[in-house]
Amino acid sequence: MKNRLRVLRAEREWSQADLAQRLEVSRQSVNAIETGKFDPSLPLAFKLARLFETTIEAIFSEETDSEFSGRTVANDKLA
Amino acid sequence: MKCLTNNPAARRFYRRFLGTFVLYALILPLTTLVFVHYHPTGPLAYPLAVLPAIPMLGLLAIFGLYLAEEKDEFQRTVGVQSMLCGIGGTLTVTSVWGFLEDYVHIRHLDPIFTITIFWVFLGLSIPVLLARYK
Repeated sequence: MKNRLRVLRAEREWSQADLAQRLEVSRQSVNAIETGKFDPSLPLAFKLARLFETTIEAIFSEETDSEFSGRTVANDKLA
Repeated sequence: MKCLTNNPAARRFYRRFLGTFVLYALILPLTTLVFVHYHPTGPLAYPLAVLPAIPMLGLLAIFGLYLAEEKDEFQRTVGVQSMLCGIGGTLTVTSVWGFLEDYVHIRHLDPIFTITIFWVFLGLSIPVLLARYK
């Protein structure tokens, strides 16, 4: 599953460790989710959505990387 | 064993694991000593002989407890997968060894070692599993 965690994190200038601390998970977990090698559970996906003040669909998608990574939270809110 | 992570659940696991392992290291020579010097027989010999197995089995319960207490779902997944690797590795080694014992008469593998084989495979699989997720 593709995700925009890296972009969302970069927008806030958070490191993986910063995000991990906010989510109360390990940095390894954030890295595994970010690289698309581990799909988070629904509760963790909701936690991420709340943290980034957006929807789960705005973070995770089955779209290709190029289609998905160009989107921003601002654009999603307008849509 | 390669550290899964350093959260409270993992720290509790390492503490419990170490404590139980120390207990095993104390019970094992003590049991051996009793059997060598006092040659216990009858009903008392059975629970005494099983005594060192209790902390060994306790280690499995401690790992299970860690999986139940671990709040980080990724770490929990790696823990479960490492346990499967431990089980798979143990079954593979013991099955292959069994056939080798039967057909080419290699040295007998004492069943006591199966739990050690399990922990070796479990421990070795963790860094491999973590590397796969990088």
